[in-house]
Amino acid sequence: MAIDEVHDLQFVFREILHTMSRPGEIQSLRKLEGKNDLDLPLHDATLFTLLTLFDAEVSFHVLPRAENQVAGKISAYTLASHTTLAKADFIIVLPDATEAEITEALEICKKGTLIAPHRAATFIIDTDFTERNITVRLTGPGIKEQTMLHTLSNNIWEARNTTVTEFPLGVDLILTDSNMQLACVPRTTNVEVMEVE
Amino acid sequence: MKAKTHFAFFDEGSKKEIRRALLKAVAIPGYQVPFASREMPIARGWGTGGLQITLSLIGKQDVLKVIDQGADESVNAVSIKKLISKTTGVRLVERTEDATLIQSRHRIPEVPLTKNQILVLQVPMPEPLRGVEASEYQTKILHSEEDYSGAWLQLFEQVMKYGKTATGADHPVYVNGRYIMAPSPIPRFDNPKLHQSDALILFGAGREKKIYAVPPYADVSSLAFDDYPFQVESFAGENCHLCGAENVFLDELEDPVTNETIYQCNDTSYCLERLNENEEAEVRKTYA
Repeated sequence: MAIDEVHDLQFVFREILHTMSRPGEIQSLRKLEGKNDLDLPLHDATLFTLLTLFDAEVSFHVLPRAENQVAGKISAYTLASHTTLAKADFIIVLPDATEAEITEALEICKKGTLIAPHRAATFIIDTDFTERNITVRLTGPGIKEQTMLHTLSNNIWEARNTTVTEFPLGVDLILTDSNMQLACVPRTTNVEVMEVE
Repeated sequence: MKAKTHFAFFDEGSKKEIRRALLKAVAIPGYQVPFASREMPIARGWGTGGLQITLSLIGKQDVLKVIDQGADESVNAVSIKKLISKTTGVRLVERTEDATLIQSRHRIPEVPLTKNQILVLQVPMPEPLRGVEASEYQTKILHSEEDYSGAWLQLFEQVMKYGKTATGADHPVYVNGRYIMAPSPIPRFDNPKLHQSDALILFGAGREKKIYAVPPYADVSSLAFDDYPFQVESFAGENCHLCGAENVFLDELEDPVTNETIYQCNDTSYCLERLNENEEAEVRKTYA
């Protein structure tokens, strides 16, 4: 069954908006299971996020850089244009990207300008929400007390924290996984890497 | 013959653009994100900003409430409701608790909003510094430098003229300790409801082409001086002449017969619900 561009993508957007305004709350897109009939090597949650947000007006970059074929297909399906890391509106990070590549991307991506902070990159990172070795505590707007996440790595969170030190400049993260889940971490969120037990 | 419109009136491209602006607005609380405000079947300045946000959010499962200055049945609210329900088929309600999406002009409902609701406010004038600086580019620079002396000066002038901060509506607020934001022309009475709200609050200015947001559980403080603290409108000793409610925002009216000043709930659905409750209680008592 194909994805319904009107109603299914509306549902995906509301889930993204929910977790962007309540950082770290993991939302499920399970309702759309089996609807992905596109020939793209992306997990469903990542793909549906792209379909929801991409059109001819946005540009993107794919990590790892070897994935030129994926980039071409994303362009073909969404009309978005592939560009360099430093210019991309969206940076798509596939599971086989290395930690070094991600931290480098966080360093050189667009962070907006003081006059137009919204012109910053949004990262769409395909990751895993059950990473045993890492616990981060999120606080800030959208979070009543605190939210815990178990994803990405110590170094990536540190690089992200450096990127968002000069609020309102910074980047926003949309994290997706292979289980049709997603969670957002906007630039306003304080991310604290907890001691490894 | 009527042409069959697309779901939620908009084409999907327009929705996408507004959705991307909404995500950035949430990520930078209080910052006005520019967007390509579309032509709507109602005139700019009549809630097109709020309407465009609502149409980009709404799905078949949503339950919609639209209010205009507290009233569910005034012209602006009714025509917006008609447009949305005809193009989406969503259920319309008046009870605040039943709605998932609430579009409002100039009021935040009396019943506290919940985690599962989104409030969309219509904004005529999104720029809190426009009164002191006419140039859009200059106000963008002032925001970028967090130079808000103009906003403070406006308040100071009110103190000099009237002996208190006398903003009628749209009293500016500091969001998340960074941006000064126009909360739309809600009465000062509603400003505290923005602080640490359970619901997501979105703002749309169609004519001025701006979208901004206050995420839930964000700090929002109304501008005030230490010696002139922020005060909401006071209705001490008054209550609604219909339902008797106290501690709500009241409209001041004149009784056409006795020419006396009377007060009435501004939030009509809240008032109606209380009246119905009172009546039910009375009926129960009579039959007991």
